[in-house]
Amino acid sequence: MTLSARRYFQGASLAVWGVVALSFYFSSRVASYLHPGFHGWTVFSGIVLVLIAAATVFFPVEGELCDDDCGAAHGPKSGWGTVLTTALLIIPLLGAVMISPSQFGAVAVMNRGLADSITDLPGYVPFTEPPLPNEDGSIGPAGQGADFGSYLNKSADGRIVASTMDLLYAANEPGIRQDFENQEIEVIGQFFPARKNNPTGDRFSLVRMFVMCCAADARPVAITIRAPHPETFPDMSWVKVTGKVTFPTEGGKTVPVIVADAVVPAETPPETFLY
Amino acid sequence: MEVPVFTFSLPDFSYAFLSVLLEGMPFILVGTLISGLLDQFLPSKVMLRFLPKNPFLGACTAAGMGLIFPMCECGVVPVIRRLIHKGLPVSNAVAYMLAAPVVNPIVILSTYAAFRGQGALEMSSLRVAVAFLVAVLVAMAVHNLPLRRVLRPRILESVENLPDGELHTHYHPIGLLRRLRAALHVAVSDFLDVMVYFVLGVGVSAAISTALNQEVLLPLALNDWFATAAMMLLAFVLSLCSTSDAFIAATFVAFPAVAKLAFLVFGPMLDLKLVFIYSSVFTKRFILGLAVGLFVLIGLICVRLSVIGL
Repeated sequence: MTLSARRYFQGASLAVWGVVALSFYFSSRVASYLHPGFHGWTVFSGIVLVLIAAATVFFPVEGELCDDDCGAAHGPKSGWGTVLTTALLIIPLLGAVMISPSQFGAVAVMNRGLADSITDLPGYVPFTEPPLPNEDGSIGPAGQGADFGSYLNKSADGRIVASTMDLLYAANEPGIRQDFENQEIEVIGQFFPARKNNPTGDRFSLVRMFVMCCAADARPVAITIRAPHPETFPDMSWVKVTGKVTFPTEGGKTVPVIVADAVVPAETPPETFLY
Repeated sequence: MEVPVFTFSLPDFSYAFLSVLLEGMPFILVGTLISGLLDQFLPSKVMLRFLPKNPFLGACTAAGMGLIFPMCECGVVPVIRRLIHKGLPVSNAVAYMLAAPVVNPIVILSTYAAFRGQGALEMSSLRVAVAFLVAVLVAMAVHNLPLRRVLRPRILESVENLPDGELHTHYHPIGLLRRLRAALHVAVSDFLDVMVYFVLGVGVSAAISTALNQEVLLPLALNDWFATAAMMLLAFVLSLCSTSDAFIAATFVAFPAVAKLAFLVFGPMLDLKLVFIYSSVFTKRFILGLAVGLFVLIGLICVRLSVIGL
């Protein structure tokens, strides 16, 4: 293989990676893959790779470098090596871009297991209730001040809009639990059939993915829903649950169980991960 | 309900595969851009000038050189081969080769980012400390070995017939613009080379992390000894780049921190791809001894670290 042909192969590999990175960033698809802290890196690397690809193709440097047996990694020399390298770099990437549904399915969730306690998650620190403002706006000592419940988000019909993480925290922290217990709430998540502790068949798990850095380290967190009747949504489809929160003791620990009034399909939220 | 041990799903695999590629690729890119600049702008004789003559101090200095001259494990072998050829003590070269892929700012930052929320400061600090310690210990062992047991005959011959002339480096008398273009060329080659290993490693990792029922690993994960040995073997097989392996280690949430630390120290020092690359410098017997020694030494150190609550 000639040096110029090798240059084109290298430029193609770089360009494909750069374009993929940029397309993920500008289409917002990156939000389903990476923690927001990494989004800047994605666009940075995309721009740099596209620029380097252009430089590699249009500004060759062959003949200007040392040509002895210095052993530095200057890339594959043989034609087949270059073709194989390019194929390995491009085909799996583009294949994954086309196949990936941008969310995990039931198999990965089943294999990772459901975390149903806040203490199972990395980075958990016991909640310390912050000092809240008093009626006059002054900040009092911790645990005093205005009612914590008044700071919860509520829907137009007065229900508390909660997340699975809120309820898992509440199950572990009595101070938060009392703000949710027996309250009407609405919560969205992904439908996952109950694998155990479901004798009457009316239970399912409402799953969200807790992410530290990227989807690969996602940990499924789940709360239990007791529906009015057995539900048959597609696995991992998004649903909205409305109902009353209870905190029974099951398996020796306090867990959140929502006694649902209704379970309806929901749109995929803009932010699919919990952090 | 009984869950099978291995259930492969192509969509799940491709999702995890793509997310790690997107996450790790920028770090590899930055690392190779820096290595290209170093290749062209920092002659190797600058490194030699700062190395003490005392073997222990020399090994310590070489093991810490990655902080100034960061290199990944793929790029460092050709560099030390050249440095040995030009007169760098083999013990110092081994210290630099083993430590530089871990004891360098890019890897420290990426480890910190990957373990955010999982003891990032402790993990990145201990990774550097253990890698430094192991590199110095191995370097001192190498210092006491005859060169013929360490170096391949062709490399040994070049060392024994070392001329007194100038050190060879990549530093040629060419202009700034041409040197920048040459640095870019080196960076591109390094990036593409490393990315091939990265893509393959991430593929294996994504398959395991999505398809394997992690409950079957829990018995191993509950025992520090088994977990540490298992994670080092995994690092050996996956052959990941040190700039991004922390992101993969962090996904094994069921495993104890000491086992993940062993993964992070052992992997950049010895893995499947490195066995082949090391063969261009060292004898097969030395590589075998190095593999066993690193496995035992890192395993013992990491398991003992459980006493500090890691």
